[in-house]
Amino acid sequence: MNHMRRVTILFAVAFACIPGAHTQTAAPPSPAPGTPRTADGKPDFSGIYQWPTYLPGEERGHSAATTFDRKNFAPLKPRGEPFLEPRTGDPRHDEPRDFCMPAGFPGGILSGNAMQFFQTKNYLVMVHEFQRMTRIIPLDGRPHRQGLEPMYYGDPVGHWDGDTLVVETTNFKRWALDDYYYTNPKEFRMHSDAFRTIEKIRWKSKDALFYELTVDDPKIFAKAWSQEFEIKAKPEWEPVGLYEYVCEENNRCPGGKCEAK
Amino acid sequence: MKTPSWLRLSFAFLALLAIAASLPLFAHHSFAAEFDDKKPVKMTGNIVKVEWQNPHIWFYLAVKNADGSTTTWGFAGGAPGQLMRRGITKDQLKIGETIMVEGFRAKDGSNNASGGRVTFPDGRNVLTAGPQDRVPPQSTTSKQ
Repeated sequence: MNHMRRVTILFAVAFACIPGAHTQTAAPPSPAPGTPRTADGKPDFSGIYQWPTYLPGEERGHSAATTFDRKNFAPLKPRGEPFLEPRTGDPRHDEPRDFCMPAGFPGGILSGNAMQFFQTKNYLVMVHEFQRMTRIIPLDGRPHRQGLEPMYYGDPVGHWDGDTLVVETTNFKRWALDDYYYTNPKEFRMHSDAFRTIEKIRWKSKDALFYELTVDDPKIFAKAWSQEFEIKAKPEWEPVGLYEYVCEENNRCPGGKCEAK
Repeated sequence: MKTPSWLRLSFAFLALLAIAASLPLFAHHSFAAEFDDKKPVKMTGNIVKVEWQNPHIWFYLAVKNADGSTTTWGFAGGAPGQLMRRGITKDQLKIGETIMVEGFRAKDGSNNASGGRVTFPDGRNVLTAGPQDRVPPQSTTSKQ
């Protein structure tokens, strides 16, 4: 084997190991057997699901890992905005959700509560029990809305790539990336207002969805990076479904001061 | 006498297992901010009040002290929806019933704790923690 050939193979192997690299360039995967379909032949994601997880196993209702693994992070951009925000001890700064501020996206979807999806020809609606997060995702090819103020949950639009639904979300305000599960006592992780996410969703088997989330934040990271999750279908949760989530009902941290009764 | 290498390895393996068992499952910051995972608690008492509300259920036990007095302790569990999908409903926490609760004490020193696991008089126990919260290691099998 000559030197150039060895180098070429090494590059090919290295590229194949970059998270998300192959999924961004390959042709759409073959449909999973038994993929449920809508009347117009698109994959149908309507149903009730567990929150996204990326490690196998579930122990008595406890989740497998459901946050971003630092091994997937792209390098930080030199002189970019800070990714790590020091904690100050003030919950209004360190954990706004403790007094019922929004989790935002993607933090909200990664919370350990049930989700229910409703799909029509022109919309996929994701309802997450945590904070009753609702995402209305147009599927009819319309562009992002213009002139909106930045939002906690951004502005999503979807399109089909074969049997994969691709959702691009933009127009975020600067907020915690996934702080709910990132428990470093000194800091938490942020995204900037240039944050953009790409979600790829498809059926991987008869009882689970493939879910890839790409983080593109040019003010913080040198390039986009991705992490794959699995979303388990939970038809056995249908009888209970989603419960209401009125955070203020028993909020122990009114005004940001947490007090036990 | 020199300890055989297989025995040293076994001790090391058991030590690793013990460490792994004591690690958090997935604590969210709210848990870490409010409860001290260095202070596990295990208490038995009568249920005096149940708040089946978001964002976390709370239930309260009258716990007898060594001097004969009684202290009311509060325990925080998961969200109602999380528990109901596991088959745990409010009516399982009956006022007046004696239960044992395992969790971690509040950092502020108040008579509050996380309520990760509840054991009923018949030995049946349920996980009352949220998916993100720490639960003390358990040696017996839990069944819901």
